[in-house]
Amino acid sequence: MTTMDARLNELVERDRNHECPGLGHDHVCVRIVAVAKLPSRFGDFRVVAFWNNRDQKDHIAVVHGDVVGAEDVPTRMHSECLTGDVIGSLRCDCRDQLETALKKIGALERGVVLYLRQEGRGIGLANKIRAYALQDQGMDTVEANLALGFRDDERDYAVAAHMLQSLGISSVQLMTNNPTKVQQLEQYGVQVSKRLPHLLPPNSHNRFYLETKAQRSGHYIDFTGLPRLQEQSDPVRIEGMLE
Amino acid sequence: MEREVIIIGGGIAGLQCGRDLRLAGHEVRVLERARGVGGRCATRCFEGQPIDFGPMFLHGRALPFVQAVAEVEGAVLHAAWPHQIQGQGQPCQLNTFAATETRVTLPAGMNTFAKHLAAGVEVRLQTCVTGISLEGDRFLLNTDDGATFACQDLVLALALEQTLRLLGTLETQPELASIQALLGMFASVPCLTLLAAYPLATQAPDWDLLYPDDSESLQLIAQDSRKRGEPKYLTLVIQARPRWSRERLELPQATWAAELLKEAAGCVGEWVLRPLWQSPHRWRFARVDRGNELARPVLTRLKAGQRLGLAGDVFAPGGGVQAAWLSGSALAQRLLTEEQR
Repeated sequence: MTTMDARLNELVERDRNHECPGLGHDHVCVRIVAVAKLPSRFGDFRVVAFWNNRDQKDHIAVVHGDVVGAEDVPTRMHSECLTGDVIGSLRCDCRDQLETALKKIGALERGVVLYLRQEGRGIGLANKIRAYALQDQGMDTVEANLALGFRDDERDYAVAAHMLQSLGISSVQLMTNNPTKVQQLEQYGVQVSKRLPHLLPPNSHNRFYLETKAQRSGHYIDFTGLPRLQEQSDPVRIEGMLE
Repeated sequence: MEREVIIIGGGIAGLQCGRDLRLAGHEVRVLERARGVGGRCATRCFEGQPIDFGPMFLHGRALPFVQAVAEVEGAVLHAAWPHQIQGQGQPCQLNTFAATETRVTLPAGMNTFAKHLAAGVEVRLQTCVTGISLEGDRFLLNTDDGATFACQDLVLALALEQTLRLLGTLETQPELASIQALLGMFASVPCLTLLAAYPLATQAPDWDLLYPDDSESLQLIAQDSRKRGEPKYLTLVIQARPRWSRERLELPQATWAAELLKEAAGCVGEWVLRPLWQSPHRWRFARVDRGNELARPVLTRLKAGQRLGLAGDVFAPGGGVQAAWLSGSALAQRLLTEEQR
């Protein structure tokens, strides 16, 4: 076992009796419960499983290189999107975003992708599919989507901040296009030393971003004529896209 | 007759919404179809003894909700009924008996929660709104007794299907189309309910609440009299499963009531067949089923400036009375903060 693995494994031992007041108004607390090797087509990783005190969802950190106790660790927060991540749906950019993050971090010396499982948490996947169903009918869905409410960003930041703290990461370089994400994370005590733009490579599926003139409003209609739901609380940016 | 805000539906969602708006200094009027407030948080009296025939008790984990219930006079928060639960069947909500849930009973009846919320709020009872129309920047409401009401802000705090039916009386509004389509994806479940009273000397079962697991018809049998301080009668409330209820919704009440009583007698004892008094109640829209939940209430502004708010048990996670209350509270908040054109 490498010292890196030993250090990660020690965290499981350490967290066995971990209790803390928790972060945010929900008092979110997490514990590292298991660590294993996870070679992936996107790089060589360790996967770290977290228990949390708010729901039955096990969040994970996908770790590359030695991150325990490290500073300025390149970090990406990804919100679970079953249809995008797993099925490869083209109704969102989640798969592109996840792949790009894993590949980039896998090629660096070290880094972390926090994979936040939130779909199916209370209101989740079924309501997202209801939102799609409304889109399919060509509806203006702003208020309907709010009511369907498949995001709770605030809780996610608290979970993410605690996960990073549990990993002993003192500061991160956050891969995001959303400056408020930096603020949010810092509010929960994670130092963000730098913001790295999260640029996706252009491909045939996201070409419309480069062709559309709607960047300012943030509303994109894709090739299929459907508006894009923003699922990652992070505006999409494609290499070559105009600011 | 003009009011700033009119709320249709004097159930928990509507009353809580009205209460919060009232406290913020708004003029509010609640229109309620029935003779009393509470909606599905319902209590009947048999010879002075309350019998709950909607939800059997309150439960929740949202602190503001628990605090609101605790303010009701006589509320029992610690070691609340049901003490003895029998049977392997499931309650209507999965987390009902989770350690995180606070359970509350109201010895004077569940509708005392509604009465408590209604204190200080103007409620017009026995007023059934039959149609909504627009006039200028106002909503116009027509009722079955010929009265007309007008308001700038309108809240529908009804069962999902009743909300959709009322929205259907309004001429088509583009702002509402997606909301109507959205609500069309959800549905309430029915619950046929039978109330029955027996002499106190009857050999009572030793449980408060029975969830049969092998009955096609029975969701639960509650020994309601065990909630009351000094009951004069043994009272049972028998509630049927959603599917069984749906299949019998249009049958004469006597038909399904007899079936329910017979099935209950099979579970409890022959004596159940001979009540002193019985009363069936048909909950056509008893509750939203699991997985039929929105995150928050709806508030839309129509083109001429009217605002339409929707609250009720479908408009907050988790369903049930807690969701209804939370949605009413959240809608009041939105009406107050997303103010002013």
